[in-house]
Amino acid sequence: MKLKTSQSIAGFTLSEMLVSLSLSSIVLAAAITSGISLQKSFSAVDNYFSTQMQQIRIIDYLNRDVKRGLVVTTSVDLQSVTMSVPKYIIQAGDPEAIADPETIGTPRTPTVAYTTSGWQVNYSPSTTTVVYSISGNSILRTENGVVTTIASSTDQLVPQSTDVELSNTEYANTSVTFLPIFTSGGAVAERTGTSLYATAYLRNKRRG
Amino acid sequence: MRISQRTVAPGNVLLCVLCTILVVSLIGGNVLLNCITRYNVASSQVRSWKESLDAAETGGDIAYAELRKTISDPTHAFGPSNGWTYSGGAYTNSPVTYGQDNLSTSSRVDPFYYDGNGNAWYRIRTKGTAPVLGLKRVGMDDRMGPNTRGDSLLRKIDFNYDHFVATYGPNGDGVGQTLVAMIDASGNPRPQISRRIELIAAPMTPFEAAIKAGGTFYGLGSAAYIDSYRSTTGSYDASVKTNPSDPRYPDSRSGTVEINSSVATIQGSIYGNLYTNGGTVTKKTTSISGIIDNNVPFSLSPFAMPSTAGWNYVSSPTMINPNTTINPPVVNGVPRTGSPESPNYYLVSSFANNGNLTVNPVVIGGVAQETYVAIHVTGDIGQNTSSQPTITVPPSVHVQVYFDGNLQTKAENIINTSGYAGNLQFYAISPTLPNGAPDPSVQQTVDLNSGGGSTSGFSAVFYTPSANFTINGAPDITGAIVCKNFYGNGNVHWHYDRALDSAGDAVDYRIISYVEDIR
Repeated sequence: MKLKTSQSIAGFTLSEMLVSLSLSSIVLAAAITSGISLQKSFSAVDNYFSTQMQQIRIIDYLNRDVKRGLVVTTSVDLQSVTMSVPKYIIQAGDPEAIADPETIGTPRTPTVAYTTSGWQVNYSPSTTTVVYSISGNSILRTENGVVTTIASSTDQLVPQSTDVELSNTEYANTSVTFLPIFTSGGAVAERTGTSLYATAYLRNKRRG
Repeated sequence: MRISQRTVAPGNVLLCVLCTILVVSLIGGNVLLNCITRYNVASSQVRSWKESLDAAETGGDIAYAELRKTISDPTHAFGPSNGWTYSGGAYTNSPVTYGQDNLSTSSRVDPFYYDGNGNAWYRIRTKGTAPVLGLKRVGMDDRMGPNTRGDSLLRKIDFNYDHFVATYGPNGDGVGQTLVAMIDASGNPRPQISRRIELIAAPMTPFEAAIKAGGTFYGLGSAAYIDSYRSTTGSYDASVKTNPSDPRYPDSRSGTVEINSSVATIQGSIYGNLYTNGGTVTKKTTSISGIIDNNVPFSLSPFAMPSTAGWNYVSSPTMINPNTTINPPVVNGVPRTGSPESPNYYLVSSFANNGNLTVNPVVIGGVAQETYVAIHVTGDIGQNTSSQPTITVPPSVHVQVYFDGNLQTKAENIINTSGYAGNLQFYAISPTLPNGAPDPSVQQTVDLNSGGGSTSGFSAVFYTPSANFTINGAPDITGAIVCKNFYGNGNVHWHYDRALDSAGDAVDYRIISYVEDIR
């Protein structure tokens, strides 16, 4: 028996190779482009969601302090909010703490005084000052000189407007926006679409 | 036989498909992982943080409603049947659970201050707790920069132990720190968030206006006027209200009249504001120096006898007859002055038509001491318009007269020589049914007659929300009145003392301070 070996070697001609390489390149390019786009979209969506969480955090911080505030004022350029908050807890260095160190970390008992504008409740002769400000793209919270960044610089958070109105009651309006990574209709429209609004009322009856 | 070898490798296609599935799955898994983190923070942790404040404020509302009963229903305020217990000078209630998310709240209420009227100021401390559902994961601090603090500083979640009790003790005063595990009734782990707030409830005193009528108003005479002054800056001077250069001028135009009705016949001059509820008063037809607002409704709650639990009961006298004198009781050889929150208390069953009561102060070394007296008359004070009951209050004496019936006398028989109307206060206890509800079938009255055209007046305040008030003649009055319907037909000169806006018994409470313990 004689084995017959095929003498024809299966291969590609140059033209076939060129065509196949071209097609492969197109397919690979499409795949890579899709992958990159997918990754970008994922990154943008991830950034969007995480920035929204920071929006909520800023609003929650602000509302908490406004509610317990005695006075809230906004800078003319709407870049910072300053509020006076009762000193509820005795801290080291306070007169009560110097007189009796055991009182550090305990709540104060308020005092009551009658003034020409009516009764007033005071926890301490002085108050705690809390300032919210913008530094670059970060939001800072400063309490008695101690600075805390409550929204990171990578998320382009900018409070668009903050207002305090005085009427029968006192409240603070806040709007926080950010610029998303992906854009389609222009930066202004994109930023406006991310606006988060909040209104917080001062619970303390004090007018300066 | 020929064997043909094929060089095609079909397995490559399968490999490519598997790789694609792997890549897509990795992306999908990553997206899901991030979504879960966001959802966990936004839906569970942020929600619980907000709900815990809602629970704390609900506890504040519960406590506030209870302490208002100290005015409207003293016998049932902070009652055990409502879950309140008294210990260590404070009222506490057992935790109240409500809502679909099983929020819970508890409160502690203590009177921390008594003002010059003897009214208690209450401090309300409440704790609200909300369970944290979802995954036991911290927030999104990891997504921020190295010096950035976010969720964990703001929303303090107790995953395993109550951080507040462990660090500051249950009352936040550094006493009794202990580890309290976060578990539910079945012993299963249950993370939660608790927030604590402190509210201050301040008493509202009744004399914020010269005349306040819960019903209709008629008066005064065409030549009458109502003005004001402030006794703490000097005695009354009739010329101040027309002299803008006088430093006391700003205090001279607060003779405000408040009417909770559209039926308001205004005569004379009012140096102050006028408020009605649906009236048609205009400046064209009246002489009113201040604001006219015909859309100011308000309500007057029935007045109940305050709790006398902390008062110094004195057994005599029990009847007021001609020439009855109340001298301070002597306890252990020392005359007792009483205090605003604990006055010397007399329970009087009758005040005769010709009764004549004089209340004397404690005198030590020839100097009169500030003396505080409360008298509860369980019937009428005078029984017809010709009756002559008299009350005399010398300087340094602070008298509060509570009466269940009617008051009828001549204006000149209300003798308060202290120079301050707040030193003689009349309170009409609203008629009630046996079950304690207001009795609309009984109409209380307060009739004051000038007496033969006399211009003699009085210096006193009246809080009679259920009584019709009538005053005849042209007396000169210093004080304030709160009543149901008001009728005055004389040329009265009525001077409201602005110092009265902080005087008198509490008729309600309001929250005037709010702080949150953010530790």
